[in-house]
Amino acid sequence: MGSRSSHDLETDVAIIGGGTAGLNSAMAAAQAGCRVLIVDKANIVHSGAIAGGIDHFMAFLETGEPWDTREAYLGWVGSVARGAADLEVQEAVYCDELKEALERVERIGVSLRQPDGKIFRTAALGQPGPYAINFDGKKLKPKMAIEVRRRKCRVLNRVQVTNLYLHDGELAGFTGFDIRSGDFYRIRAKAVVIATGNTNRMFNAQVGNPFNLWYCPANTGDLHRAAFDAGVALANMEYVRMTIVPKGFSTPGFNAFFGMGAQLVNSLREPFMKNYHEMGNKAPRNFIVWGALQELKEGRGPIYMDCGHLKAKDLEHLFRTLGIDKDTLPEFLLAKGYAKDGAMIEMTVSEPMQARPSEVCGSGIRIGRDCASNVPGIFAAGDASDQMGCLHMATAGGFAAGRHAAAYAKKTAHRRPLATKAMAEEQARVFRPLERKSGSTYREFETIVRQICSDHFGPVKTELSLKAALEKLGRLDAARDELKADNLHELMRTHEAMNIHAVSKISATAALARRETRFPPYHYRADYPLSDDENFCGLMVIQKQPGGDVTTRLDKLRYAG
Amino acid sequence: MPAVIDASKCNGCELCDLYCPLDVIHMEGEVAVVRYPDECWHCGACRQECARGAVSFRFPLAMLGV
Repeated sequence: MGSRSSHDLETDVAIIGGGTAGLNSAMAAAQAGCRVLIVDKANIVHSGAIAGGIDHFMAFLETGEPWDTREAYLGWVGSVARGAADLEVQEAVYCDELKEALERVERIGVSLRQPDGKIFRTAALGQPGPYAINFDGKKLKPKMAIEVRRRKCRVLNRVQVTNLYLHDGELAGFTGFDIRSGDFYRIRAKAVVIATGNTNRMFNAQVGNPFNLWYCPANTGDLHRAAFDAGVALANMEYVRMTIVPKGFSTPGFNAFFGMGAQLVNSLREPFMKNYHEMGNKAPRNFIVWGALQELKEGRGPIYMDCGHLKAKDLEHLFRTLGIDKDTLPEFLLAKGYAKDGAMIEMTVSEPMQARPSEVCGSGIRIGRDCASNVPGIFAAGDASDQMGCLHMATAGGFAAGRHAAAYAKKTAHRRPLATKAMAEEQARVFRPLERKSGSTYREFETIVRQICSDHFGPVKTELSLKAALEKLGRLDAARDELKADNLHELMRTHEAMNIHAVSKISATAALARRETRFPPYHYRADYPLSDDENFCGLMVIQKQPGGDVTTRLDKLRYAG
Repeated sequence: MPAVIDASKCNGCELCDLYCPLDVIHMEGEVAVVRYPDECWHCGACRQECARGAVSFRFPLAMLGV
């Protein structure tokens, strides 16, 4: 391994994570005249949550309908994401950016319209009206990749970022390695936008495969961990998110099914969602997951997606849409023997993941209206931030983050230095698992982390269960120093496993501090089963202090009505 | 086996290797091989990029049988 080389790069704005949010950030920073470097663990043509496609974009379009306004949209956000969505930030990063975001998607060559030229929208998730624009986003990611190349952004594909570095309390740069060549990178930047998504593979998944997941299994909290270690404040980390997925295959499709009018039924063929929420199958996601869990727990499972009452043309649209969002889902359903005639499809509750409690906020780096974190030079966007989630916010807010990062870079005269000693230590740390002849593998280590998280807070939790989880997760610290990797692919997975482990501790610590229940089952404290708006309507912010102590605080949020 | 590559159709263009978001597909000589089938996300990026129709999906029994 002595032949690996290392590289020193400099840029104005670096984007870490080239998914939807990151590429929109890159477009904005390049448009502002900055030199932009995008670093992605995979290849930006197909990486992140929409690597294989996406089928809807949520928007208010000011059509004159009472629900189709900025105010109505924010009212919805305030009701379904109460205590997690900071409406002042959301206005800036989403509402103010939306019109341009919609135009940008179409300008780079992806139509938001149906083949007949019309915009088709559906409603689900507690929306007061149909906010979800159905469209064919199969090519959206490749088109965005072309666009950032056109704007002369430099791209480093297949580089896993390993740590962030500050100088005098401000961003200096970061390190990473090429997962195929093993080359080591030291990158100095005036500003960085972190857009690396949420944290997956933290809880046991369907049929025992941790890569059979609703969200992208490559998103493993790498930069949540690195940012946290650099003193960046995180928020909404206590939430454990789940959805409804086909039995055997964890895929997106929730919005398509319910948007088109499908309904969940139990094994008595009873639609049950009205028992849990007045909006029934159009309720916010966490209520549907809660209802499904109760039906399964009380012995009325399996549960099914009943599409039998849908019109033939709606069924056809639904199946086409499912394949846009998840390329392989229609053939999976057919392979399981489902006819396209509206037959009931067995569903279940997905694996938990550490992520935002609602479509309309995020989970991660605490950002302000300017997408900036508490550390000068570090910005965040998309699912990796505490306020952006889903395609609509990653597109709109990603661009905002890039613009603000560019403005910061422009007023920064000099790039700050990376300390030579720290660089050498990091390079040694990163590659050490390759040098070990014996030790545990990432598979074994990750399986243990998943078991602890699943047993102790996946999703139900109490003070005792969380403290016990933290004790067990703490005991695993020693095992981190004994992990071995036989090749660079395994080295990447080893670092991912360690990051999942670190984020699981952050999540459990934040959950311990939120002594109430919110968005059940996403944060269901069996010892505090009720919501407590008086004390907990706000963001649980968790931060590592300069001395190493981890602290939590509640940033209260206020809502009209 | 999730993504399956038909070696007789593969022309060695490397696009599936290049674009797999999970680093599951690696070139072995002139042919793309699914080296880490257990880590496939079934996203279909490889199939979307294959001009030769060499990629198909075979769902494991564990996914189909439950």
